[in-house]
Amino acid sequence: MRLKITGGRIYDPASGWQGEVRDLLIEGDRVVSRLTAADRIIDAKRKMVVAGGIDLGAQVATYGATFLYLLNGGPTLRELGLAYAFLGYTHVHEPFLTPVTAALVHRRLAALPIVDVSASLVLNLRDLDAWLKDRDRWGEIAETIRFLLEKTRSLDVRLVEPFVRYRQEFYAHRNIYPDEALDILTRLALDHRLKFIVQASPDVVNASYLEPRAFHLAGLSQALQNGGAGAAALRHLDAGVTADCGLYLPRPDPGPQIKVDLGWYQPLNLNPAIFRQQARDALDLALSYQGHNLAFSAMAPTPVREYPELFTWLLDRTLRQKTWGKETAEREYSLSDWTRATRTLPAQILGLTDRGHLQPGARADVAIYDLSEGKKPRLSPASLRRVHTLIKGGEIVIDNFQLVKPDAAKATYFRRTEAQATALVADICQYRSFRPESLWVPDELGGPWVGMD
Amino acid sequence: MELKESIICPGCACLCDDLDIILENGRPVAIHNVCTWGVGKFLAEKKLRPNKERRRLTDPQISRHGRAEKVSYEAALGEAAAILTQARRPVIYGLANSGAWAQEAALALTANLKARLEPADLAFMAPFYQAVQKHGLFWAPLEVIRDEADAVVYWGANPLHSCPRHAVRYAVFARGRFTERGIEDRQVAAVDIYRTELAGICHPYIQIDPFQEAALAEAVMASLNGHPASEDAPADADKLAAFFANAAYGVIFCGRGVAYGGPQVFDRLAALAARLNEKKPFVLFPLSGDFNSAGLYELLLRETGSPFAPDFADPAAPTSQASPVDFQEVDAVLVTGADLLWFLQAEQVQDLKKRQVPIVALSPFADRTTAQARVCLPVALDGIEAAEIAYRMDGLPVLLRPVASASAPPAHRVLADLNLFL
Repeated sequence: MRLKITGGRIYDPASGWQGEVRDLLIEGDRVVSRLTAADRIIDAKRKMVVAGGIDLGAQVATYGATFLYLLNGGPTLRELGLAYAFLGYTHVHEPFLTPVTAALVHRRLAALPIVDVSASLVLNLRDLDAWLKDRDRWGEIAETIRFLLEKTRSLDVRLVEPFVRYRQEFYAHRNIYPDEALDILTRLALDHRLKFIVQASPDVVNASYLEPRAFHLAGLSQALQNGGAGAAALRHLDAGVTADCGLYLPRPDPGPQIKVDLGWYQPLNLNPAIFRQQARDALDLALSYQGHNLAFSAMAPTPVREYPELFTWLLDRTLRQKTWGKETAEREYSLSDWTRATRTLPAQILGLTDRGHLQPGARADVAIYDLSEGKKPRLSPASLRRVHTLIKGGEIVIDNFQLVKPDAAKATYFRRTEAQATALVADICQYRSFRPESLWVPDELGGPWVGMD
Repeated sequence: MELKESIICPGCACLCDDLDIILENGRPVAIHNVCTWGVGKFLAEKKLRPNKERRRLTDPQISRHGRAEKVSYEAALGEAAAILTQARRPVIYGLANSGAWAQEAALALTANLKARLEPADLAFMAPFYQAVQKHGLFWAPLEVIRDEADAVVYWGANPLHSCPRHAVRYAVFARGRFTERGIEDRQVAAVDIYRTELAGICHPYIQIDPFQEAALAEAVMASLNGHPASEDAPADADKLAAFFANAAYGVIFCGRGVAYGGPQVFDRLAALAARLNEKKPFVLFPLSGDFNSAGLYELLLRETGSPFAPDFADPAAPTSQASPVDFQEVDAVLVTGADLLWFLQAEQVQDLKKRQVPIVALSPFADRTTAQARVCLPVALDGIEAAEIAYRMDGLPVLLRPVASASAPPAHRVLADLNLFL
């Protein structure tokens, strides 16, 4: 289909467009610079035209997440997919996939309609402990990571616990403390061209230096247990480290606990209590950083349908004050800031080079929102809640606020590495109850798949 | 002769993936690492009577006036569709022993029929989920349990019968990362109303009176909280409390026996697990034997947001029912992935017969239900003759690849075809 989106204000930080009124041309599934004729012209006057949103930290397919349905009654994956589409999102990234849970995560991601999906492979450094201490074996570690990425159909590598700590005293001599682990991981990343998504924690954020080429900090809010950590986080951001903020809605009494043990030192708490101060600290950090390295993300258990409220806190000082009082920062995100935080930077972090921007050649994932035109154009809470038009891969999915293509084509993106199995893979697999061939994700358990080099 | 390695067994919810199978003329003739349940499926032998062949269904059949006659596939589908569409209260029953694709097709069929989908083990699983709603849960995959759990309790469960290799692969004898000596690194206990084979390896083995299980769980909780045992507390509560107190990482595997004590047993066990979790990891784990029970509940949660029986009688407002269906209200049943008449009590079976409730049965084998069915549709064996997806008891899916050719279509295709006939 050939589409001409005309008269809209285009926001694309990657191209330097900050609301200029111009046309956007689409042919097939790509943005193009020229179009001889259009099958359809979309009038986008008084509207904001941006790339499709990319959620960096959606726990939509985490192992154990279905137990949460028991506490809050949903939403189902179908409802979630629709919710994302109506918010203008076209790609959702699941943060927690392990070699054992990979097949389950992909089954669930495949059931999420409309949006493209991908997942992070969570590496348990305990599996590598003896190898990490021997620099001669780092090449094999890197090859193993690449092998696991492809076999588990993951897009990137995540470290929830960037350390090795055994619960059993007997193994204490094998512990690797965070400083040492981060040092090893930095050199491993630089030597072997890897990049790690590291779940933020006070230990991580308080590290004296984090190499921007080696790390992305996920869920920065989790590290904010004192003012010092906030200052340290800003220092890393200023030094060039990318991060996502991990905003919360306060939920001091979430009900019964659902915890899942994935073999890490701490179980994953799927239904944590979020106290008002935590949520406030996260918001303050997001408002105080003014550079280009902080992406938007929300931390579980904040539901996706509540994202507009979080966006409003960033975009509108007056509405923010209704929740937080007048003591919060004066700053408001510009529409360009918001676009960068929800589109441009997430695409860069995930390595989705043809997403998150609207330059010719970009994939035609486009969201069009109603703008309130006043002294300066604004996105109202109502506009944030329901996108006017959503185009995915050149197909119109939502048209004039109505879902017109619920069965839009979607895909699961993963890193294709063609790496070979190593002795370390055998070492890792020796403790699995599955044979390795059952562990690796077959085509039938997810997809359709798109391998990225 | 052909050797196929690392075949996944759909015999029970263990889904053991280490079967090595020798095929002759495309049929399995010898299997390594298999239990009796697996043999029953791969070699078509009766579960409790090895060497006795299970009769396969070969042709679609319709029974008229007590006489079964072979019909075409289309005629059988037409008759089944007529039965189900004419019913006021149709139920799709079973599915715990069906692959995930069949379950998805069944759910679509249920919605289209405005029927109710009744999981075969709802009476067991619904109280578990209700207890989780109330008390929360600490959960772990079998991988982690195998590595970490040094205290294993089987409560109302006999894994040697329901999932025979469970104790060897995942819990008791398995050698995990931190339990390298297997049973020597673990303490194992059991609670049951009968003395079972587990008594030889479980210390303590607590045999209690029927309907005393909730009281036992309460007494253990009281003991852990430092309260003295009441006079009428079941014997051995202190022993079990000491067992729990000494654990570093524990798991309570609950079998179907728990359901017979009423929903309060799961409630008390979940409360007990929550109490234990304040100090140490303690997993509460329902041990469903059917090979894809976990897949069914995953599907229900994923698609309906509830693990209970979805009822589409009012399509505008579908409901989910935690209580098992009252078969007295039912006027047509489609059964797949279960042997309904084997599960029901004798009086319920009599009632269905008396009211001449028509049954549509999809099954690879002849069983009690197919013997009484108005329409029989033979299907391929999921995971042996047809590819399918199944979820291990801890909720992790695997792809079942066929090892033998099928003479009947897979259940998911039959269900999808039936949907087209409505």
